[in-house]
This record gives sequence, structure tokens and C-alpha cells, in this order.
Amino acid sequence: MAATTTHRITIDPVTRLEGHGRIEIFLDEEGAVDRAYFQVPELRGFEKFAQGRPAEDMPQITSRICGVCPTAHHMASTKALDALYQVEPPPAGKKIRELIYCTFMVEDHALHFYFLGGPDFIVGPQAPAAQRNVLGVIAKVGVETGQKVIAMRRKLRDLMALAGGKPGHPVFGLPGGVARPLSEEDRDKFRSVAAEAVEFGQFSLEAFRKLVLENSDYVELIRSDAFTHRTYYMGLVDGQNRLNFYDGLIRVVDPEGKPFASFTAAQYVDYIAERVEPWSYMKFCYLKPVGWRGFTDGAQSGVYAVAPLARLNAAEKLATPLAQQAAAEYFATLGRPVHHTLANHWARLIELLNAAERMKELADDPQITDPNIRTIPTATPREGIGVVEAPRGTLIHHYVTDARGVIRKANMIVATQNNAARISLSVEKAARALVSGHNVSEGLLNMVEMSFRAYDPCLGCATHSLPGSMPLWIEVRSHRGDRVALLRRDSDGSIRRE
Amino acid sequence: MDPSGGSDPRRARLLGLGNELLADDAFGLLVADEVAARVPELEVVRSSESGFALLDPLTGVARVIIADTIQTGKAPPGTLLFFDLDELAGPPAGAPHGAGIREVLALGRALGLPVAEQVWVVAVEAADCATLGGAMHPAVAAAIPAAVEWIVAAARGLKRPDCARPERSPR
Repeated sequence: MAATTTHRITIDPVTRLEGHGRIEIFLDEEGAVDRAYFQVPELRGFEKFAQGRPAEDMPQITSRICGVCPTAHHMASTKALDALYQVEPPPAGKKIRELIYCTFMVEDHALHFYFLGGPDFIVGPQAPAAQRNVLGVIAKVGVETGQKVIAMRRKLRDLMALAGGKPGHPVFGLPGGVARPLSEEDRDKFRSVAAEAVEFGQFSLEAFRKLVLENSDYVELIRSDAFTHRTYYMGLVDGQNRLNFYDGLIRVVDPEGKPFASFTAAQYVDYIAERVEPWSYMKFCYLKPVGWRGFTDGAQSGVYAVAPLARLNAAEKLATPLAQQAAAEYFATLGRPVHHTLANHWARLIELLNAAERMKELADDPQITDPNIRTIPTATPREGIGVVEAPRGTLIHHYVTDARGVIRKANMIVATQNNAARISLSVEKAARALVSGHNVSEGLLNMVEMSFRAYDPCLGCATHSLPGSMPLWIEVRSHRGDRVALLRRDSDGSIRRE
Repeated sequence: MDPSGGSDPRRARLLGLGNELLADDAFGLLVADEVAARVPELEVVRSSESGFALLDPLTGVARVIIADTIQTGKAPPGTLLFFDLDELAGPPAGAPHGAGIREVLALGRALGLPVAEQVWVVAVEAADCATLGGAMHPAVAAAIPAAVEWIVAAARGLKRPDCARPERSPR
């Protein structure tokens, strides 16, 4: 249906009710879905906020931007400072950073799989709404497994605190290296926990096989068209095109899985463009060389994805043996590249194992206890760009400073901006499948939530804000813009129709 | 165990949640600073983390008092709410994104972890928790002294969360 037949509604994202995800569905004259938008609260004002601050403060400041992944912002910011001061950390400095980073990755992925993604894959999409929560997950996997996850988390966080400062407030990264070396005693602790983490990763993949892969309904759901988009994929790779969370080239593959681009963080502006839509504060990223063709998939559209699914697609292989074996099984089951959004959960577990194995390699590395951990910067700063793979996808920090290192311009591309256009595709597809006329089924809430959880978007939504989880509202509007239906799930889990 | 948690502040902990970079979201941290100065024997923890990271500050003490922001959209900015987390209706929802305090607490209890038996909340209705470097709404800033007074009294066993409750959603 042509856009001209759709009545445009001006949506003010600044609403007192911005603590929720709002999805607006516009119908055409025949009552079919014309467009669907999702609104989420997000952080504003980063550039203005950064201006005039010493760049050196940014690893500490930006780590507090997100309450979920402070370590990712700390690391991307520290790497931007390396570039800004044109300084290369010594090998031990880099390895300690990567070791802490992999520890963080294992922790975040473990919590996500069990406690956030769990309602969909462990409890199941058909389970009653009242069970699709963290208690339902524990009922299904058992208290013992739940305790195992919490014990693993405790050990990983203790290691992060040991080597990097409080996990909520990491302080280890400095331009040119890290703040303190790793002692032999620290290394032994990392070795022992890394070995446990590898076992934990294998245990979790085995649990996934039993709970999901042995259930043909689940596999069918993962493969279903409703959760499939054929887009480009982005992720960091090492010199051998193997996935790396901490460093490397940004590699992009096309919807056929063929290499499309490979570039350094410093070149990101040549490849990643940001687009503003009138209905959202969020900037939607797309691939500049392909161009923007609207919210659509395929090789002609610059829409791409990041995060576990995308990273496995973008890399040729994984650098560690057990994870590589798991990835081979994954691609043999789902094809390559994998276009199914829900496969993110499986990919996340493979990455967990990859990060755990990498932790072990780094902890065993003789060089990691070398006391030479920092190259002191001497060059005059000008511009620096840093990139890491956050658990939720590629994260870029970009600072331009004066000669004293005071920020004049700053930009940040967070994981979810990269994914935002594809998330919109998912919302619209769900709406097309499940909205007919004024009838909105509760299945739509489920479907949208399942997509959200698979992407695990990082929304600047101050998720600790009470009373808890993010409410979700779905509004359906006619072609004249009148609201014809509202389906809302509030933060206490109650579902209401208006 | 005394269900009120007794009047001994050492059996309670104040958890100031928020982010001083994000306008009104600094509220919980500022409240925590003031209470720490007033009641030195009360354990005060500050956190800008969210999700499962909040498991730790909810563990190892009988009662936790949380100071935080809330966005109900049903009250003007600066309105204070005092409630017991367990009085909120319904089981924790599966969240489309992240985990809230209720999910974290429910998880801790389900796993038999030593999480707080009682969680009292002092929350201020916030206008903006998303602008980096944003200014605090004057009404939110003005609510700090009353929140501090309430927490000081609650820590000494003189107050219970019965002043006001968030509106329950119809089930």
C-alpha cells in the first residue's frame, strides 16, 4: 500500500510514559498492516555531554552509561584513547584486557541465556504467561542448575573485581595498557575459573540440545519465516577471520554469507551511516556502500545485524576448538549464514564457550604475567576511535580532541543502534503475521517479546528503575490515525486491552 | 524473626540506585549520600548497575531499603512513593528486556540464596532519566530531604512503608 494513503501521526517520544516499549501499528484503508514502529527509551545527549571533558576521563565516565555492560564501554573507550594517543599497549597489557573482557562476556552470556532468554526456550513459547518468567525457568531447569549459574557468575565477577576493579565500575584500562599487572597467584585463579567456565559452557550447550534441539517444534519455530530476515552481518575478527570480542577488523558478510567488507575501526564512517527517523530518537545504522532502501531486507538493503548470530556469520570460524565444533553443528543444522533471529540464543551459548576457552588460553599464556603492561603515551592527541564486541554487538567510541586532549567532538555507536533497523523489521513482520483489522492477539506480544529478547537490545532505559521489567504497549491505529486497539503488558505482568 | 526487621539499623542496608550522569536518576545516589552522613551505623551501598548485578546488594541482610526513581506517569515529578516490594501485585513478569529488582529478588528466593526478606522502596517520580548530563528536575531535587527523613526514621524502626502505594494495575 502506498504511503500516501496512510495518515501520518506525529509521535512525541518525550512522554512521561517513556519507561516502556511502545509499538505503534498503522493500518491501511483495508485494515491491513501498513507500517509498524517501535519506540524505546534511550539515552540522549552523549556528544554534548562529552564536549569539554578530558578524553582521559571517558573510560570511567562512559562505563557508567550502561548499567548492564560497563566493561564494554570501559574497553571501547580505553581503545579509543590508545588510538587518540597513538600508543600500542605491550603484549601483556593487551592480553590482560582481553582476559578480563572474556570473563565479562562469559558472565553476561550465561545470565542472558538462563534468566532472560530462558522464558522462551527453557520454559517455552507456548507456556502460560504466568510461567514465562525467571521462576518458570528455575522450575524447569531445577534449583541446582540455577545455583550453578549463580555460583559461576560469582566466581567470574570476583575475577573481574580482582583484575579490573568493581565490575560495575571497571578501572583497569589506561591509554597504552592496563593499571596493574597480573600476578602468578591471580593467574592461577583465572586458570581454575576458566576451566570451570569451559565445562559450564559445554554443560549449557548440552542443556540447549536437550531442551531445544530435541524438540522439533522449537527447531521449527527458530527456522520459521516469522523470525527470519536475510540481512548483512557484522562482527570483529582476528587476522585469520576468526571471531574476536576484544580486537581486530570489522568484517561484514552479505546475505549469502560472502565477504562484503573488512575495515578498521578508524574507517567506520566509510561503512556505517546513521539515519534519523522522525518517530524516534534512535539513530538507525545502515551500510553506507549499500545505501538505505527503507526497512527491508535483502542484498539491496543496507540493513545489517550485530550480536551473537551476526558475529558467527561474519567470522569464517572460531578460534577455539570446542566452540568451533559447536559452531559446525550449528551451521549444519541451520545452514550458513543463519538468518533466524531466534538462533541468537544458540549462538550466544557457542560464544560463551568460545570466550571461556579463550580465557583459558590467555590465563595459560606465559606472557600474561609480564610486568611490562603499559606504553606511556607521548604523542599529541587529535582523534581516536575504539571498537569492541559488546555482548549485544559492535560498540564504537569516537573522540576528537584539541592538543591538550579535551574533547571537541564525540560519537558513540552502541550495539542496539546497529541492530535497530533489523529489530524494526522483526516488529513489522510480527505485526503483519498477527494483526488483522482491529484484532490484536496476545500472540503478538509474545512474538515481539521473543524478538526483543533474542536481540537483547541495550536500551538506555535505566532498567533498574522500579517497579522492574519494561512494560510493553502495542497500539493499533487506523489509516486515519485513530487508535483502534491497545494491548498492554504492564511491568507487573498483567495484560490489559483497551 | 521480628517481621518488622527490628529497630537496629545494622540489620538493614540502604541501597541507593541511580546514575548521577542521567538527570533525575541521580536521586537515589544523592539520597544515599545524605543518609550515610546522618546514620553512620547504617550500611549504605550505591550502585549504577542494573539487572542481575543487583543480586549482590540484595544479599546478606534481612532488610534492604532502596532509594530509586520510578516512572509511573501517574503522578507529577517529585512525588514520593513508599512501598514494600512484595506488595506490588502479581508475579514478576518475563521482561522483554533486562531484569528488574523484582525478578532478581524472586530468583534469589527461588534458589535459596540469602536475599533480603523485606525490601522497602522509597521512589521518586522522575521526569527524565535518559539525558546525559541533564539537570535534575527541581521537584525531584526538592524531594530529597523528605526521602532522607523517611529512610532515617525507617532505619531506626520508626516508619513503615504505608504512606502511599503505587497504583496497582488491574489484574
